[in-house]
Amino acid sequence: MSLNVIHNATCTFCGCVCDDIELHSDETRIHEAKKACVLGKAWFLNHTADHDYPDALIDGREATVDEAIEAAATFLHDAHMPLIYGLSNTTCEAQREAVSLADRLGGLLDSHTSL
Amino acid sequence: MTCTLGEVKNRADFIVYWGGNPAECHPRHFTKYTLMQKSKFLPRGRKDRTMILVDIRETKSGGAADIFLQIRPGKDFEVLTILRAILKGQHVNSSIVAETGLTLEQMTDFIDRAKKARFGCMFFGMGLSMTRGKHMNSAALLTLAAELNAFTKFVAMPMRGHGNVTGADVIMRWQTGFPFGITFNRGYPRYNPGEFSTVDVLVRGDTDAALILGADPGATMPQPAIDHLARIPTIVLDPKVTHTSRLARVHITTSVAGISAPGTAYRMDEIPLPLKPALKSPYPTDEEVVRRINEAVARKPHWMPADGPMTIMQH
Repeated sequence: MSLNVIHNATCTFCGCVCDDIELHSDETRIHEAKKACVLGKAWFLNHTADHDYPDALIDGREATVDEAIEAAATFLHDAHMPLIYGLSNTTCEAQREAVSLADRLGGLLDSHTSL
Repeated sequence: MTCTLGEVKNRADFIVYWGGNPAECHPRHFTKYTLMQKSKFLPRGRKDRTMILVDIRETKSGGAADIFLQIRPGKDFEVLTILRAILKGQHVNSSIVAETGLTLEQMTDFIDRAKKARFGCMFFGMGLSMTRGKHMNSAALLTLAAELNAFTKFVAMPMRGHGNVTGADVIMRWQTGFPFGITFNRGYPRYNPGEFSTVDVLVRGDTDAALILGADPGATMPQPAIDHLARIPTIVLDPKVTHTSRLARVHITTSVAGISAPGTAYRMDEIPLPLKPALKSPYPTDEEVVRRINEAVARKPHWMPADGPMTIMQH
């Protein structure tokens, strides 16, 4: 098992987005998050690369990602007023795709900011 | 008016935290930016800075403050308005002051210190923006910061919570012209918080399908909003099976931004930072899944019947 060290990694737990974290990891988990605060340490150390959850669920039953994507597209397309919401704990690249999807659907688009 | 945290670190000698608890919610804010750092302009670091904490109760952040101003719950707008009156040299009725929990001396001292500062910055948290008065409170604080610029350099910045919520504002502003609370239902973006903001939409039952990503409204929203999410087809993208996933028709597990998904996140002062994931996830990224949903929707007939797509962006 090899140890991988990343310098100046970025923590996305809170709005500070500290970008000076030193991460020590192997293939499955992060063992150390130097310079991170108590919240950041918990954030980095509690996620693993394990397959802990099913790839996708449709009505509570396990499904493939392809099936779930098709089901999602059908639900959103069939709706008169679909809503896309959240967008905080994700990347700007995913946010951009979400704006594009809302535009195509003629739907609602909103984030945590409105809470 | 706002600035970067780098400017605060190097220049701000007067710091106010209003309705926030950075010691517990943003633990490195004091040490990296606002209090402890030394700079060319503040060579003695903490000794060259004054920090005032304004809140309705004493929190752990109180230990780092030079002055703690405990105000009565729900009186933020009144305090800010009195501060603005003092700044303008207007008479303030003592019965109004008495309602706020502060004395006229405390508020006059606040304004005297703010005017004498070389660079002031007010950080405001959800204790200001999510309590009675809501966005009117934020507007009052921003107006106070603007008016202080008649005397010195003064800025204000919201203390943003969740990781990349700032990025959501920035991306939506860039793509649509508006930061949140948007509808595309006429084929072009319109903005109206209260009408198009999610809690209101859900409580009124105005939406008939929802895609939730990077959030867990099932754990945080008011019950009537959660009840509506359970009534309609809800789709959740999340690294975990969440409260919202349990009431959803579709859940897709995705990789974790910054841990196993690459990309960009915005700091609270709107500085974009690259993510450096340490792990390889067995799951796809949010970006990939949303793009594939978008492609699947694009293969279906467009919702606007007459002349087809009328979108603002190139897909």
